[in-house]
Amino acid sequence: MTVFRSIRRRTNSWSILSILFTLLILSPALSIFVQIFEKPNENWAHIQEFLLKNYIQNTLTIVLFTGIFSILIGVSLAWLVTAYTFPLRRFFKWGLILPLAIPPYIGGYTYHGIVNYTGIVQSTLRNEFGIHANPVFFDILNIPGAIFVFTIFLYPYVYIITRAYLEQQSASLIENARLLGSGPLELFFRVIIPISRTAIIGGASLVILEVLNDYGVVSYFGIQVFTTAIFQAWFGMGDVGTAIKLAGILMSLVFLILFFEKALRGRKQYSYSNAKVRPLEPVSLSRKKTTVLFAYVTVIFMLGFAIPFVQLFQWMLLTYEKVMSPEFTQLIANSVYVSMVSAFIIMAVALVIGNFTRLSDGILSKAISRVTVLGYSIPGAVIAIGVLTFFLWLDRRLNVLYEWLNIDAPIILSLSLIMLIFAYVSRFLAIGFNPVDAGFDKIGRSFTEASRLLGKPLWRTFIQVDLPMIRSAVLGGYTLVFIEVMKELPLTLLLQPFNFYTLSTKAFQYANDEAVHEAALASILIIFISGLSIFMFHAVLEKEKR
Amino acid sequence: MVKKKTGLLSGLIGMSLLLAACGGNEDAATTTPATTDEETKEAGVVNLYTSRHYETDDVLFDQFTEETGIDVNVVKGEADELGERLSREGEATEADLYYTADAGRLHWAKEKGLLQPVESDVLNENIAENYRDTENEWFGLTKRARVIVYAKDRVQPEDLSTYEALAEDQWNKKVLIRSSDNVYNQSLVASFISLNGADAAKEWAQGIAGNMARDPEGGDRDQAKAVVAGIGDVAVMNTYYFGQLLNSEDPEEVKVVEQLGVFFPNQETNGTHVNVSGAGVTKHAKNKENAIALLEFLSSEDAQGQFSEANFEYPVNENVEPAELLASWGEFKEQDLNLSELGKYNADAVKLMNEAGWK
Amino acid sequence: MVMQLHDVTFTYRNAKEQTIRRVSMALEKGEIVTILGQSGSGKSTVLRLIAGLEVPEQGEMVIEERTIFDAKTFIQPEKRGVGMVFQDYALFPHMTVAGNIKFGLKKMKRTERDERLASVIELVGLTGFEKRYPHELSGGQQQRVALARAMAPNPSILLFDEPFSNLDADLQVKIRDELRTILKKTGITSIFVTHDQADARAIADRVIVMEKGSIIKTGTPALILS
Repeated sequence: MTVFRSIRRRTNSWSILSILFTLLILSPALSIFVQIFEKPNENWAHIQEFLLKNYIQNTLTIVLFTGIFSILIGVSLAWLVTAYTFPLRRFFKWGLILPLAIPPYIGGYTYHGIVNYTGIVQSTLRNEFGIHANPVFFDILNIPGAIFVFTIFLYPYVYIITRAYLEQQSASLIENARLLGSGPLELFFRVIIPISRTAIIGGASLVILEVLNDYGVVSYFGIQVFTTAIFQAWFGMGDVGTAIKLAGILMSLVFLILFFEKALRGRKQYSYSNAKVRPLEPVSLSRKKTTVLFAYVTVIFMLGFAIPFVQLFQWMLLTYEKVMSPEFTQLIANSVYVSMVSAFIIMAVALVIGNFTRLSDGILSKAISRVTVLGYSIPGAVIAIGVLTFFLWLDRRLNVLYEWLNIDAPIILSLSLIMLIFAYVSRFLAIGFNPVDAGFDKIGRSFTEASRLLGKPLWRTFIQVDLPMIRSAVLGGYTLVFIEVMKELPLTLLLQPFNFYTLSTKAFQYANDEAVHEAALASILIIFISGLSIFMFHAVLEKEKR
Repeated sequence: MVKKKTGLLSGLIGMSLLLAACGGNEDAATTTPATTDEETKEAGVVNLYTSRHYETDDVLFDQFTEETGIDVNVVKGEADELGERLSREGEATEADLYYTADAGRLHWAKEKGLLQPVESDVLNENIAENYRDTENEWFGLTKRARVIVYAKDRVQPEDLSTYEALAEDQWNKKVLIRSSDNVYNQSLVASFISLNGADAAKEWAQGIAGNMARDPEGGDRDQAKAVVAGIGDVAVMNTYYFGQLLNSEDPEEVKVVEQLGVFFPNQETNGTHVNVSGAGVTKHAKNKENAIALLEFLSSEDAQGQFSEANFEYPVNENVEPAELLASWGEFKEQDLNLSELGKYNADAVKLMNEAGWK
Repeated sequence: MVMQLHDVTFTYRNAKEQTIRRVSMALEKGEIVTILGQSGSGKSTVLRLIAGLEVPEQGEMVIEERTIFDAKTFIQPEKRGVGMVFQDYALFPHMTVAGNIKFGLKKMKRTERDERLASVIELVGLTGFEKRYPHELSGGQQQRVALARAMAPNPSILLFDEPFSNLDADLQVKIRDELRTILKKTGITSIFVTHDQADARAIADRVIVMEKGSIIKTGTPALILS
């Protein structure tokens, strides 16, 4: 009876599609996951003995501090922008998301370029003022430097999610706290941070995942972290098996942490249906306080966007003539194209899976919603190997078909853009899924139930009720994924078809060879297009509010 | 109003689909390697996996196409990853040529059975024997030396002698070198294992790790700048990076680097460490003849000259003079070593550096 | 007999005990029944089972002589012809009042649909509010839109889940009386779920009292609530 019942309840096109998508998309990640059970070899022992302890320590330090600082900055900005008026507030609302447009590794190169011995800071001190400052003071190629770079370019994840959450909060909660005599700091730490906990964790986990899977920043900075061990095993010792095993361990750890976090938190069901919430209206502060506030917001914006952008711009001017070519139009088209298509597919998949997991209570659906994150937890190059293996296998299976169609090439799929886009989808599903999941969480189930009782089946309900209600979450997710794909590097490098280049690979071609100045043009274009999409998203959202 | 919003969303979706549709066609043209493409069949194509990202290379490929009518299709990636891709693709691969920096990696590809021997009188004549694989599975195309640069104001060239000397107490807290992740350092250590034995190499690595002015950070260029900044007195770096710095668009970089001198170590003993970037024809190449033609083209005097002029790399073709800057540093004695040895000892070198505490 | 439940049993996933234990009931046409019980008594679950939002473990359910659930049958919620007014109303925020009400009228011609809209909107006394959005209405008005929306497709049976809990006390009394008038006027069969005896007394023809998933008493309000 129970079996009959559960089959009844869960077998519909949504569940079948969800399971199918999940299996398909996660096959590369899963193929890596299972390798953690492979028998260790002598390289494994070497890594364990000489590297792992120190590497894990560094990783934890960076993750911990980046996490804390991103939360402090992200949440405080979200709160200030929501609760107080200050000059340029409307601009900063979206301007503070802009650091997300800068890939951290390019940000890292840029900051190093600014503060190193020939950089603008030291050379100005030296040439204009005759001050030979101790260069160690300006050294950012170390752990604190990496924490700074990660924090300043990734905090927007926390900012976006927390701000969206705070904007929906009732004013009375805040006013009550004020009436109970909380000062601003107390209010922030004792009320704002605790009530936004869910949002904060959501944002911070994206930051942490990005830090864990990064290789660009840490390898340039010469910091040895867990990913370094993966790549040393792979490149240094030529032992892919051990590398993948390490990646598998990393992935399991991430999965466990997220799973427990979710389990502890539970799934709060709340809806915004008709409870008349009076939205929080920003209040003015004294002139002095406003100045301090404005200064703080401006400093973060300068560090996270304006300064690196201006520096890149100056470098671009230096190298423009040398680097510029008609090829750039094609690069822009390629980048925008793969970003749009991937973002579209990801959002469609995220919607199907999100709708399924929300409507069913089973362990299976909970598990599915958690595994979407697997592809985002390990370095891109490792995922890429998984994808490549999967597609080569697929090509072999399809060989009969190719022959039948008279195509005399043994591999088609694994030389096509399909493989690359599949890899993007597999990797960034979590980025698109999170907002969709949160959006569904927010609307609850009663609208869907109401619609079904009014005679609309699931699919129609989805189109007419669910989708319109979470459209801003979908649009937000689309924007984030678009930017991520725009910035993406390791997958693109490994899985690109012949003669297919993007802005990101172009920037890398120079930066990889320490030609940071020449990399500026491509970087600026990435930042500009990503920034534009952030602005468009913001404009649509604002228009909706009115 | 509500209609409008939903309209906007569906518009966006529609647009993506549309793009997907047109984009799809366009890419079919650009991305399918043209083995099946009738129009280019006469001259054919050559498909290349390369980890070299220099403008010079692109220019040379264009020249090659112009001369021969053979189209060059390129995937630009990172050396080890492309190797992995090649290896996983196996027989099915469309790549004809694997082109990368560092002999160690080329040797790795050979060991993995990814390359095939090539008999070409042109190549044998153009490329000196040291810079080719013993079984002609890969060919060096450009050469670089890993040298010592020093602060002219603090260090006299007479103070410098060998790589080995850098590990001695005299240079305590004065040596700058990048991390052990870097393949150029791995190959340097591998050459010592080959020439001096593993124990001596490990002792040297320990000595260097102990003499470092700071924990390794940044790239080769950063080591040079750190010398001028006074963090250390000497740095180990590749010659072409030095050449690029001297020709930077940023006047400040030029100014700074002019304060440095270049020293070729081990001239009195077993020679300076050199490495190549090079290429090999893949085992399952579908356009072998074209691949060989491209190799021959790249080893020609004309191409070799361009490598040297634009990128400050030493030519492997002995008939070609190095660029003026390189020539100004004079001739030097090289390690007497078949470069395959670098690949043979790469894994040992990595482990040995880890054990020595070289971060 | 409009609806019959026979020995319906249900357990929530991960719950240790049965939420609903062998519940049986039958409703006459036009009858207004109130299910009264403490929170956790299972009264709302009964509504969800009737609506098809939860699937029973066993038992039988029949609406207008059509079996909607037994060992072999499970009719999806959208095909049951059941209307429901939710506790939080669940009005679609992206649709106007008219849009919400017309949402369930799919198999009608356009003119028919407009006529039906006009008549239910008049019935609940909201003529003139058609173009408003839900958030522009007061709590009482929203509740009436929810009622109109549920009634519009002419369901065989109308379910109310704690419909007054979101209203102010004086409004509650007013709406309650209005509601009974409307329901009696249309002759629609209804089930109310509430924890408030006063609600039950004011609105019901018959009261069913539930405790721990079972029906313990049933009878007229006068009899049960004396």
